Amino acid sequence: MLKIENLHVSVDGKEILKGVNLDVKAGEVHAIMGPNGSGKSTLSNVIAGRDGYEVTQGSVTYNGRDLLEMKPEERAWEGIFLAFQYPVEIPGVNNTYLLKAGVNAKRKHLGMDELDAMDFMQIVREKAKLVELDQSFLSRAVNEGFSGGEKKRNEIFQMAVLEPQLALLDETDSGLDIDALRIVAGGVNKLRSPERAVVLVTHYQRLLDYIEPDVVHVLAGGRILKSGGKELALELEERGYDWVLKEADA
Amino acid sequence: MNAAISNSISESAELTSQLQKRFADSQKQLPGAHETWVRVMRRSAMDQVVRQGMPTTRHEAWKYTDVKRYLDRLIADSSAGGVADVSAEALAGFGFEGLDCHRMVIVDGKVSQSLSQLESVPAGVRVESMARMLIEEPDTIEPHLHDQHLSGSFAALNSAMMADGVYLDVPDGIVVEKPLHLLFLSTTGGSSSQYIRNLIVAGEYSQVTVIEHHGSVGESSAFINTGTDVEIHAGGRVEHYKLQQSGEGEVNIGSVRTHQHRDSYYHSHSVAFGAALSRRDIHVEMNGEGAECALNGLYLVGGRQHVDHHTRIDHLRPNCRSRESYKGVIDGRARAVFNGKVVVHEGADKTDSAQSNANLLLSDKAEVDTKPDLEIHADDVKCAHGATVGQLDMHQLFYLRSRGLSEAEARNVLMFAFTDEVLTAIRVPQVRKFLEKIALAKLPHGAGLEELLG
Repeated sequence: MLKIENLHVSVDGKEILKGVNLDVKAGEVHAIMGPNGSGKSTLSNVIAGRDGYEVTQGSVTYNGRDLLEMKPEERAWEGIFLAFQYPVEIPGVNNTYLLKAGVNAKRKHLGMDELDAMDFMQIVREKAKLVELDQSFLSRAVNEGFSGGEKKRNEIFQMAVLEPQLALLDETDSGLDIDALRIVAGGVNKLRSPERAVVLVTHYQRLLDYIEPDVVHVLAGGRILKSGGKELALELEERGYDWVLKEADA
Repeated sequence: MNAAISNSISESAELTSQLQKRFADSQKQLPGAHETWVRVMRRSAMDQVVRQGMPTTRHEAWKYTDVKRYLDRLIADSSAGGVADVSAEALAGFGFEGLDCHRMVIVDGKVSQSLSQLESVPAGVRVESMARMLIEEPDTIEPHLHDQHLSGSFAALNSAMMADGVYLDVPDGIVVEKPLHLLFLSTTGGSSSQYIRNLIVAGEYSQVTVIEHHGSVGESSAFINTGTDVEIHAGGRVEHYKLQQSGEGEVNIGSVRTHQHRDSYYHSHSVAFGAALSRRDIHVEMNGEGAECALNGLYLVGGRQHVDHHTRIDHLRPNCRSRESYKGVIDGRARAVFNGKVVVHEGADKTDSAQSNANLLLSDKAEVDTKPDLEIHADDVKCAHGATVGQLDMHQLFYLRSRGLSEAEARNVLMFAFTDEVLTAIRVPQVRKFLEKIALAKLPHGAGLEELLG
């Protein structure tokens, strides 16, 4: 589904990613772990299409298409969703309006009819329940005045409504208490299916107690240094990252 | 003296002498000519115009707003005809869907009784033509019209030439539940200059909502000069909307002077969409302890439009509160000016004041000159002010696009959200809806976003 080959990315002339390779297949959950500053967020931002990241080498293909050629909204229409590390507050824009505009833009792109308001509201209410988000959040401005945990849950709620094919979660677990973590993980697990893939970018192993990954990668210094099964995450939790770095140097 | 300056002085002298002549010619026909105090007021105001000359960009208060090329409209012949016909359809376009309100219609500066609907105005409340008041009951308005508009040349010219307008008097304790819609329309064949004078007197603990609404029917190149005096007695509450939808060839200049007594409340919403050049001055004097005012403003301009808002709030007594928030979206080669001054006078302790002006520039050629200004002569006060000029937030834009909104749609959503923050403060939902629709239509590609209005 997502194939990243020898990806080099610079920000303000400084090279952050130095040849990343990643192959994510439908039905898989990948965890990308690594110390702070290793380039984890850069990777998710490049996949989602944020400005300010210069790809100097390599390629990213998504379902056989050159992802880097696509606008951020086109990526969304084609099924990519990024749960932001720092969700943005947008005063004056209603949460439900945003979702409806997003869902209908995607349907239009896929040649489907727009959802009627009743059906849409039913879906929205159902999904809000799933992430235990109070109904009052639906009529509030996007993330405005939300607590850190509420913002993260709102991201997962949006993901549940938009039903992406490829979900990227950028440090969604950071700043969450154990209850919120359980809810967020529940939302992600509900989404898991043979047609979908999930990429979890995280610093800690604890999210992986709730979402069992198929593949774990260690990203450090702009490269994926090691990949393995879920047991790799446990090992990282126990031993830290230093041994991977040393191993790679050797 | 260099040639350019001497040239402009002689031009200006020529203009004022023509204005003087125009005044002398029309003086006897202007309403209230039989009344000594009215004559004296008009003459002294005209003397001031001659003394000061009309404003140029060398006057600090007009530094960024150049009216020079429109001034000849003030001396052009105006049609002396009766009230022009305005069709029901044209009138309906300026109505607020679903709003039950009292309405007075003023066409080309003259009150039209036949288009007005004032049957259900509560007993004791007076909504009258200013011309009629000057002719038939000058004594009633005398205490309120003194010198109040003598602060600048346009205001003085208004005092000298005022022809008609609206007098509203709400007696003590009366709550006028339905808003009063004052609709000022200019027509194609209307006079080139209009001098409108309004007076709003709200008695103790009275309440009223007034919508001062300017629009045009057909093509008008009128130069509209409006002066509005508002007096709010103890505990009174006035909601004052000023909606400017003038035609694109028009010049719309107006000033509001508000006197607030103890514990009174004044809420002003100034919305400017139209006109080639518009300028609105609001001066609020908080003369009584515990008074509160809120000045909100929104301007959306493009093309070569010019919009200028000058406000001044004088905190003269302790424990008063003022809030001010103006926002603008400027596109094309348009230019916006904001100057907001808050003066906290000696003894006005416990003043609580906050003021802000935020601008969105949509084009490289658009321009904003903003100056929030604070002057404090008391110790125990809480004051804040600030101004911003910027483009749309890149993070918000990316967030919306990552959810599937196209770039154009995301921009529109953010622009509308920016302007709507001012419109949400409007307490009459039908008026808010009316303005939101216009705001959307004014934004580039905004028309497809009706759903935002939810």
